Amino acid sequence: MEQKFLDSLKEAMDIEAHEINMTDNFRDYEEWSSLTYLSVIAMLDEEYDFQIEESDFRKLHTVADLYNAVNSK
Amino acid sequence: MNPFDLSGKVICITGASSGIGRQCAISCSQFGATVVLLARNEERLAETLSLMEHSQKHIAFSVDLTDYEKVSQVVKDAVAKVGRMNGILHSAGISTTLPLKLVTPDKLEVFFQSNVFSAYNLTREICKMGNFSKDGGSIVFFSSVMGKTGASGKSLYSMTKGALLAGARSLACELAPKKIRVNTVSPGVVITPINCNLPHISDLERRKITEQQHLLGLGETTDIANACIYLLSDAAKWVTGIDLCVDGGYTAR
Repeated sequence: MEQKFLDSLKEAMDIEAHEINMTDNFRDYEEWSSLTYLSVIAMLDEEYDFQIEESDFRKLHTVADLYNAVNSK
Repeated sequence: MNPFDLSGKVICITGASSGIGRQCAISCSQFGATVVLLARNEERLAETLSLMEHSQKHIAFSVDLTDYEKVSQVVKDAVAKVGRMNGILHSAGISTTLPLKLVTPDKLEVFFQSNVFSAYNLTREICKMGNFSKDGGSIVFFSSVMGKTGASGKSLYSMTKGALLAGARSLACELAPKKIRVNTVSPGVVITPINCNLPHISDLERRKITEQQHLLGLGETTDIANACIYLLSDAAKWVTGIDLCVDGGYTAR
């Protein structure tokens, strides 16, 4: 479940050069941009039926924050 | 060292079974590339392969580019066989001369699917994680002088070619962080096996008019292929988001 989420997140952000971990601040990734943000939002919606407002998204910082938000819906 | 060398690069070429696409496949093979050829007609694909240098190192897939699911599988298969892509040359496309009242919604659909949606979809598939080289590369769409100038009966064709021009510029912005360059080539009228039977070339009177529209006369397929070699090669490593007019001077006036 957790690994699947990490894989989906990597694919959404086109990350292939490095691994990602739950404790990472995803905005620190080199790949992070306004476009990858849109890809992540789309992935959360499609794969997890999870929708989130931008103002709420801003409160999420780590990969774990994202994961927990999705799982607490 | 030859700056136009394509050795070690994997280039995907569509429309490779005839005309300009076929010449591009031959030229890319001569400059050292490994070519993934895509086109509908299997026999003519095999014929193109036989005309290429080192024909055994290239691979051909018979595919309809508007069959999006199949394209996705073909891209995966190609990468598994010859490795990640370094470039795309999208030369597949259809052309027509039709007056406004004959351009029906059905026609619009068919032309946009063949000329625009298929180019975009193929690019999308090849740019998916794991398919494009991590070192980046070069994508070339075929626009046309009709994408930026007008002529009666060319609105449908022009719209599709203009769409490719416009799309390429924004893709250039979006893919630059991945070191993928995106450009278009806009040919003028080039003599190919298909169009040499069409009225604007086969009819001597009409041919003369067509020739006069081009300062340097009509083009050959190698004129276009050479421009593509440039854009695909590292010689153009600082070139993205441009439209390279190879039109014998058609747009000069």
